[in-house]
Amino acid sequence: MKAFRLVCCFLLVPVISATAAEQQLQIAAAADLQFVFLDLSARFQKETGHAIELTFGSSGNFFSQIQNGAPFDMFFSADVDYPGKLEAAGLVEPGTLSRYATGTVVLWSRKDSLIDVRRGLQTLVDNRVRRISIANPDYAPYGRAAVAALRREEIYDKIRNKLVLGENISQAAQFVESGNADIGILALSLAVAPPLKSKGIYYEIPTNLYPPIDQAVVILKSSKHKDIARQFLTFLKRPDIAEVMRTNGLNVPESQPQQRKARP
Amino acid sequence: MELSVNLQKRLSAKFTLDLRFSIPPGVTILFGESGSGKSTLLRCIAGLLTPDVGQIRVGDQILFDSQSRVNLPARERRVGFLFQNLALFPHLSVLRNIEYGLDGLNKTEAQQRTENILSSFRISGLRHHKPGEISGGERQRVALARALVTDPSVLMLDEPLSALDYPTQSQIIEDLRAWNIRHRIPILYVTHAQREVFALGQRVIVLQRGKILTEGTPLEVLETPTYESLAQLAGFENFFDATVISLNPASGTMLCRLTEAETEVELPLSKVQVGSDIRIAIRAGDILIAGEFPRLLSARNVIPAIILSLRREGAMMIAKTDAGRVFEVHLTPGACESLGLKPGRHVWLVIKTHSWRFVGGK
Amino acid sequence: MDWPAIVLSLKLSSVVCGLLLLIGMPIAYWVTYSRWRWKFLVEAVVALPIVLPPTVLGFYVLVAIGLRSPIGRAWASWTGHGLAFTFEGLVIASLLYSLPFAVQPIIVAFSQVDHELIEASSVLGASRVRTFLRIILPLSIDGVITGAVLSFAHTMGEFGVVLMVGGDIPGITRTISITIYDQVQRLDYAAANKTALLLLLFSFAVLSVIYALNRNSLATSLLRQQARE
Repeated sequence: MKAFRLVCCFLLVPVISATAAEQQLQIAAAADLQFVFLDLSARFQKETGHAIELTFGSSGNFFSQIQNGAPFDMFFSADVDYPGKLEAAGLVEPGTLSRYATGTVVLWSRKDSLIDVRRGLQTLVDNRVRRISIANPDYAPYGRAAVAALRREEIYDKIRNKLVLGENISQAAQFVESGNADIGILALSLAVAPPLKSKGIYYEIPTNLYPPIDQAVVILKSSKHKDIARQFLTFLKRPDIAEVMRTNGLNVPESQPQQRKARP
Repeated sequence: MELSVNLQKRLSAKFTLDLRFSIPPGVTILFGESGSGKSTLLRCIAGLLTPDVGQIRVGDQILFDSQSRVNLPARERRVGFLFQNLALFPHLSVLRNIEYGLDGLNKTEAQQRTENILSSFRISGLRHHKPGEISGGERQRVALARALVTDPSVLMLDEPLSALDYPTQSQIIEDLRAWNIRHRIPILYVTHAQREVFALGQRVIVLQRGKILTEGTPLEVLETPTYESLAQLAGFENFFDATVISLNPASGTMLCRLTEAETEVELPLSKVQVGSDIRIAIRAGDILIAGEFPRLLSARNVIPAIILSLRREGAMMIAKTDAGRVFEVHLTPGACESLGLKPGRHVWLVIKTHSWRFVGGK
Repeated sequence: MDWPAIVLSLKLSSVVCGLLLLIGMPIAYWVTYSRWRWKFLVEAVVALPIVLPPTVLGFYVLVAIGLRSPIGRAWASWTGHGLAFTFEGLVIASLLYSLPFAVQPIIVAFSQVDHELIEASSVLGASRVRTFLRIILPLSIDGVITGAVLSFAHTMGEFGVVLMVGGDIPGITRTISITIYDQVQRLDYAAANKTALLLLLFSFAVLSVIYALNRNSLATSLLRQQARE
């Protein structure tokens, strides 16, 4: 039976590409790093020859995946708690937890929108705003920050039924960029990136309205490329690279990286 | 080598197959209406179904025995089976179909047998055709060849001729007879057509509702006391006792008088003595009614009668007539109307000599 | 164009298709010919993946192969890492997800084989295996091919289960459907368009093949009927 033999041939195709991929650094990165890290990883590859494979998503999702054995080398979270929990669970290479940036939340709307978000959070209450996209606060740090700010401003209850939840901050951006939502509470790092910058306007939500979005990174104990990972961390702390991060909406601490012991 | 069957099988709450019979080499007809259990019986013998209790034996070889827990699977039974729908493999050529059962044989022997049977049944030229490309009669022969090439110890045919026209049927009956003479195995032939009973059968077993009603030669079978129910099966409505008056070998006929009546009838000649009592039968559909005395008619029996009753049944009128004895006659409602038939009307019954069936001496 | 993802998708679909034929045919054979009175339960289980949301399936697969399960632990002790987020984990999830698409067309094809042909084969001395290989399979090959092609195409298009069980690991578990998702998230609509179009054309080609096949078998069965009359 020819068909049968053909099928058997397919079964014998070895998993070559998987082993090839294993040579590269696998990084789980929070969705707000979507654009910056594409740029930086390309630079890193050019300088050092090491390739980086990036997977973007919500920090909470990566947290559970890593707990279940997902084969990442490094995890750039959008908060400090998830990395801390991983360290407490013994999944982190000791001494590698460090803060790499601080994030900022903004309001964003399309240029052709009738709403001018530069007028601040009160624009959310406007009747013409029917849908507001945020990242899911259950597991996305930027979503949590958004809700915190809304509560501080005492408008959360007024607008909660207008909220549309994105699986991560990127998806929240996609909702509002495509016009399916009227306003998005997004990460600054996304708002200043080319695809969004040209299309809309943003308003930085006052930082006193929400707890700081300290973003921490860990190298995982299971990583087989810890040395390359450390190289990448050093790379990110270089003044010129740090400057790139800053212009792209991520605040990098000027001084030496502080070792943060997270509360379990 | 005899086929001995003794089995019981419960098919439903109301229907149990319960049979015991033996058939010698040669053709035995299994006669019964649909639903009488013929197909189930054949499948039990072939090993496709399992009886509840009993024994099935071919000569000394036991195919099934519930007591000693023997139950040979179908593929080991060496039974030839001609299915009602032939069951020819549509994707295989005639040649491959016939060879199918010869898998265990060495190549030369298989080839030899195949060639022989292809020419016996005159289908050599069709060997590369698929079943869908040949005629009904040719397919029938292929199916027969396929069943017989394996040299089975028993052959079973399930209503094999029902879909064929009369000439083709006759030809196949001839083929089967010729083969039978050479090979002499028990052949169980299932049918509900009487023509095949008389054409082929040396013995008849009549099955009714899962049980054997009667068995014997075709003539014996039609003579037994349970005649009425069989007669209904056989499609005869009129039966009479008669006495032979005279024989006429020159014209091939004989004259008989119906018992307790004056009515004389002419029948085809049989091997009986003058003065003997016989049973005769005729179908209601074979009798014609004439509204006035017919002239220049070829029929030799023209019997005066009086209409006793008329009854409509579906598309048919059933007339009971008194012609010395009661004759049941079937005619169309249209004929009834145009003749203006009513109870009490005088008519003539017209019967061809050869419509009479002699069903044996008493 | 994300070639590693395309290759990965093709590989996943091929492996799953091949395995489903191997395990699907015995299942289809049993469902077709068994007279067990509780057979309907098995048929319902086989059909479950059609109606279950992918997230439910993905969840249960994760639980079944996760590091806390016996299967996951056995795998980890053998290979040193978990079963989730691996190609093998995807294969397991896809086998369940595409099972009915392989099995059901085969069941239909098997059931349509005239029972008398199977009886004839037995009476002529063929074993069950021989009857299956020489009679049942050739006469139902169209259904088997349909099952193979459908399970292949269905696996190509998997998303939810693959995402849950595989994560989104480039080169290992990032299939082409996930690539599209990522491209949309990046707001790279041009790339998403190209990739989606490719998948669309592929699915269309696959379905055309199936319908062409079935057209042929319908035509030949009509011809056979005419020949009989």
